[in-house]
Parts: sequence; structure tokens; C-alpha cells
Amino acid sequence: MTRFPGEDYINRVEIFFHFDPLLALVTFISSRMVHIFFLPAVLTIVVTFVLGRVACGWVCPMGSIQQFFSFLFKKTKLHRPKKLEDNHTVWKYYLLVFILVSSLFTLDLVGIFDPFSFLYRSFVVSVMPALSYSVSSFIGAIYGLNLLSIGDILVQFFENLDINAIFLQGLLIGMIFVAIILFNLSRERFWCRYICPLGAFLGVISRWNVLKLKINTEKCIDCNLCSLQCQMQADPYPNEKWKSPECDYCFTCSAICPTNAISFPGKMAPESIESIDLSRRKVVLISLLGILAIPFFRISPARSRASEKLIRPPGALPEAKFLQKCVKCGECMKVCPTNALQPAMAEAGPEGLWTPMLVMEIGYCEYYCSLCTQVCPTGAIQELTIPQKNNLKIGTAWVNKDRCIPWKFGDPCIVCEEHCPVSPKAIKFITANVEQPDGSIKSAQAPVMDMATCTGCGICENKCPVVDAPAIYVTSVGETRSDRNQVLLDIIQSGEDPY
Amino acid sequence: MKRRVFLKDIAIGSLLLNIHPKVYAQGTGSPDVALIQGESPSLITKEAITTLGGMQRFISKGDKVIIKPNIGWDRTPEQAACTNPEVVKTLVELCFDAGAKEVKVMDNPCNPARRTYVRSGIQKAAKSAGAEVPLPNDHHLKKIPIHGDSLKEWEIYSDFVETDKIINVPIAKTHSLSRLTLGMKNWLGAVGGNRNQLHQNLDLAMIDLAAFFKPVLTVMDGYRILLRNGPQGGRLSDVKLHKTVAAGVDYVALDAVGASFFDIKPEELRFLQIAKEKGHGEIDLEKLIIEKRTI
Repeated sequence: MTRFPGEDYINRVEIFFHFDPLLALVTFISSRMVHIFFLPAVLTIVVTFVLGRVACGWVCPMGSIQQFFSFLFKKTKLHRPKKLEDNHTVWKYYLLVFILVSSLFTLDLVGIFDPFSFLYRSFVVSVMPALSYSVSSFIGAIYGLNLLSIGDILVQFFENLDINAIFLQGLLIGMIFVAIILFNLSRERFWCRYICPLGAFLGVISRWNVLKLKINTEKCIDCNLCSLQCQMQADPYPNEKWKSPECDYCFTCSAICPTNAISFPGKMAPESIESIDLSRRKVVLISLLGILAIPFFRISPARSRASEKLIRPPGALPEAKFLQKCVKCGECMKVCPTNALQPAMAEAGPEGLWTPMLVMEIGYCEYYCSLCTQVCPTGAIQELTIPQKNNLKIGTAWVNKDRCIPWKFGDPCIVCEEHCPVSPKAIKFITANVEQPDGSIKSAQAPVMDMATCTGCGICENKCPVVDAPAIYVTSVGETRSDRNQVLLDIIQSGEDPY
Repeated sequence: MKRRVFLKDIAIGSLLLNIHPKVYAQGTGSPDVALIQGESPSLITKEAITTLGGMQRFISKGDKVIIKPNIGWDRTPEQAACTNPEVVKTLVELCFDAGAKEVKVMDNPCNPARRTYVRSGIQKAAKSAGAEVPLPNDHHLKKIPIHGDSLKEWEIYSDFVETDKIINVPIAKTHSLSRLTLGMKNWLGAVGGNRNQLHQNLDLAMIDLAAFFKPVLTVMDGYRILLRNGPQGGRLSDVKLHKTVAAGVDYVALDAVGASFFDIKPEELRFLQIAKEKGHGEIDLEKLIIEKRTI
């Protein structure tokens, strides 16, 4: 799990994503760029090519979770499989076709369905915050019982996990995750069998692998137990019907075979088994759908006109390029030390669902922090040094004089200016003479913005004592990454870097 | 007891109680404020405490001590937004030398505590001297009566209450509302709640908080002071190398001395004026016994 013990450096926590050939492929296709950091994915491809989908059965964390709950549901007799007559395992191949075709036209949907993205996002946005919430109530109860030292130990332990506890779509993303788990009630490894596009991709390249199931026909008593128990619906019996692209090499069949008739001998001369039973007509149809989907995804104004609320993390590529690369994995949201990065809902259009944006009411962009730029697995957020980061704007702050304490009431408050991290400060003061209800005049120093030095970090909005709708707020306009989302003709960049 | 003896005793007793504490202090020969200049932050801190009569004057054997530096911002020591780590470390060592059982160093920062604790260098320095450096734990927040003129009650970290002795170690910086942030303002880092609202009546709030916490010792870090863009600065050009540490018991006097680092007269600062009127301490630099030395 991603940790950041207070320093502005983080290990290569995103490396796991780089073993994912599907993320690599779709990112390459949709962004028209090849990245060397996806090199580890080659290893996965080679292993799968030679040994089949062993990674699905033995490495994939999503697979492990599916396996665990399938096991649990079976043990508790909650698992109620219906008769297996279907051939729904092909769904995932159609999904793969859809994702690949749409990525050809720069629509990057892989992040929604890729198992690593799905799992990491679900944990970051939902599972861990829920855990943190329940633990926090539990710890509260411990303190309530006056068990102070136990409480202190627990607090320290959970502080070390660095859980960001507040997320806008925690419930929705969590419900999807729970639903995927509950599907295991009807089919073991439901996700791996029917949905996983990465599994489908690995299935396609594993068709010629050398690890082939072999049933010793002399021993076999045709009991069909292996096919009934196969968690991936790979149909080990009869031998010639076995679907090697479905097999994740769990070896359950050989373990349960009453006569030990099943083995997986390595064969140097791989034989081709036609076992991905796709209908050509459907593949064409799905491809057409993949193409047709694109205009529908692009009807929204997100690409042409930026949403004021869509404040991307520093280092984010220009919006169109960003959307081609972001895989919605949630790494950046995990490392954000102030919990500011949140999954977008509609702010970035349908394509931008669950992409990261800063919500200043929850957190803000810490001045000397560049963690989110360090962890992005696809380069949608470019890695930045601190001086680079502090030289760019992610948005611009605005003072709402109707709500600001000095502007409205003539009372002193300098909280936004005090927190402004740039030097010289982007918030300056002028004197406000405010007429009071009784006609008298009160004077206070009141904040005004200096557009040239404001980076849009949002700490002013976050700390504003007008808590419900802060009297100073950040919008995306002026962000360095965009040519269009600008307000002033000429903004002088501060040359000297304070770092 | 005869009535006459009783009355006589009362008369003598009240006379004694009326004498300013300074009279007793003078008996030990220590000044109100030790103002030490020098190259090494730790040496001048040590010298300041020695001048006041040594740490054992403030810390007894077996005491639980909490030291409150300013760790408010995610800034390095060179940027002078947080207390000098060496000053904090020296105080921890002196406390242990005086027999303290336990020394805690804690603050509730404006930026995320984890980062400020690390970048300020204070966590590492204080830990190396054997102190506990806990992050602010919100389960420790308690609404506590302050009995102040502006603050009746506020959420306070119980760490600062459930302790034997408190030492305040502020850094001297500019501030756009109180003009300077010195020792009394430092107490805003010991409270939780919606503390940003305190700024609407900041001068009174900090006076109330300072009177509530009442540190046994205040050590003003003036090694580097922040002249502009306070309270967090940013550029090194905002910082002046002042190479001074001041220490004393009267926290109001310490803030008055801190103001002199910036060539500001104590009477110009509203919060000092009010604190003096309330009788919390002395701000007239002429009346204070200040032992100034360069080492």
C-alpha cells in the first residue's frame, strides 16, 4: 500500500500498474505514444504466451479477492450456481473489443474496467475510507471508556496507513465493488469469467501456450466432476473441448479428479485449440458500437469549454490528452496529503468519470508537495520537480465580497492571506470601509487577489472561516495547461523561484 | 491563638504577599529576561537558560513536560516559519538533565502535521534528544473552560492540560493582523475547533489562551526571524539572521522583547498593550531586568 511518511518522495508505488499489458496497450493506442515505463508489461505478455493465464490465477490481486469470496460463499453454502449451459465467458472478449476499438479513436475507457484500476480505485475511494470511518468510531469508543493508551496506540497505527477518509463518490464506487463481489454468489470468479478485459486480452495471447491440460482417457471415468468444479468455466472435460484461454491454472481439476487422470504436461510443440467462440457478426457489431459510442461520449462541452470546478492536479496534461491517458486508478487520490483529489462525476464529461480533480472544500494543493505527479502510472500527470510545480497555475482564486468578513462586515480576518504559501503573497490587502446597519462606517483590511502570483492551490478556500460556501474560492480558469481556459491577456509569471 | 497575634500575623502575611514576585526572583539573582546572541542556536539557548538560573528552576524531578514550538508550516528551518529545531532539541535535553520524566513536543499545524513535522526538522531533532513527538490526535480534543474575557471555552488538546509543566518556544515572525506572531500567538497551535474564526478577535483570543496555558518558561527563538510575508514567508530574502534567543518567565515581557527584534515598540502592539492593562505582565523594556550577552 502507498505510504508517504511526511517527505516529498515516494517509492515507485505505481509499478504494479506497469505489469498490466492492457493498460499499456490502450494508453499507447489512445494517446498515440509509447512509454518505456510500461516495459514490465512485456514480462506479463511473455509469461502468458508461454504458460497461459497463470497471472490471473496466481498473481492478480483482483483474482485473489474473487477467489476468496467465491471460496467463502461456497463454504457458507451461499453460493447457488445455476445450471451451466451458457457461453457468457465471451462477454469479456466483446468488452475488450469495445475498449480497443474506442481507444483507436482516442476514447480511453480501460480505466473503468481494468482490474487493477478497478480494485485500486475501489479500495482508495471506498473500502479504506469506510474502514477508517468504522475504526475511528471504534477508537472513539475506546477513548470513551478512558482506555487512553490503547486509543493512542490504535490512532498511531492507523495514522501510519495514511488513509484519506473523505471521498465524494465513496458510496457509488463502493456499491459497484460490493456488487461485483456479490456476483460470486451465482458464479465463482464472476469478474474473471465474464467481465475482466485484461483476462480476455491475456486469454487471446495464451491460446498457443505450452501448458496444456491432458486427461488420461484410460483412467478417466467420465464423471464430469472437473468441469463442474472448474472455477473459470474452462470445461476440462472432455479434453478436446477444454478452453485454454479460460484456464487460470488453479489445478483444481487435477486435485479433485477421483482417478488422478488430469495432468498439465508441458509440450514444446503447442497445439492450437479453437476455443474463443466469438461470433464474427457480433465482433463487427461491437466494433461499430465502439465507434458509435465516441460521439455520444463527446456531446458534452467538457473538451471545448472547461468546467470551473474541474481543477486538475498540477502536471496534468491538457484536457484532451489527459483524458486519453488517465486510467482512473486513484493513485493520485491516495497520495494526496490533504485529501483534495477526488473522483470527478460529471465535471469532466462522461469520459472523465472518476478522473482526479481538486475539491478545495475538502483539501488543497500543498505547496511543497509533488506526490501525485510522482505516482501516475500512465503519465497523465507529468512528474514535476517542486520548482516546476510551483511555477504553474492549476486555477485562480476569487474573492466573493458578498460573503467575505472584512468586505461584508468590516471585521478583521486575514486567514486567506496568512495561509497563502507564495512569496510575495498572492492575496494583498486594501482598506474596506463598510457601512454598518446603523449607518456608521467600519474599516478593515480586506483581501484582493494578485492574479500574477496566485497558483490556484486553494488553501485560502480551504481555510476560509466562512465554512459553508467559502468567501474566497478557486476556479480552473488561468490553468497553465490550457490555452483556452484563460482570463487575462497577459499574465506575468514570477521569474524567481522561491524554493 | 490570641486575637492580637492572629491580626498581627495576617498583617505581616498580607504585606509579604503584596510584594511583587520580582523581589523573590531578585533573591536568586536571575534577570526577567535573558537575551543571548551567538552563532550556535543550541549554545545560546543553553546560555539563556543558565542565565535564568538553570532548567531545574522550572522543571522538577519526575515532571511531565510539554514543549510547544511553532511547527505550523511545511517549511524548512532556513525559511524561518517554524521554530529552530536545534533550540527545541536543546530544551528537550535540558529538561531531561533537570530530571523530567517525560518530554513531549507537539503542535497543531496549519499544513498537514506529518509534512510540517518532517520538513521543519523538529521531529527528528526532538526525537534524537529522547522526546516524544506525537502528531495532534483529534481524540484528545476536549472542550475546556478558558474563563477568558473573549473566550469562554474552546477545544484544546488535552496533551497541553494533562501535564506538569509547559514550555513555550515560539519563533518571531511578522503577521498581517497582530503585526507580529510571538509567544502568545503561538497558543493558537494548541487548540483545535474552528480556530480560523479566532482571527476576528485575535488579540483578545491570544491573550486569553496565553493566560490559560501559563507556561513556566518561554523561550523566544530569534535565531532567524521572518521580516516579510509572514507567518510562513517563502523566500530566503524574507528572512533575517538575527542569532538571538530570549528566555524568561513573564511571557508578556518576552513578547515585548520579541517586538524589539523588529524595532517595533511594544506599546505599538495592541495585544501587548491590552495584556499589560490586564496585568498579565510587563511590556516596558526600561522596567524589565534584561541580561543581554553575546557569546
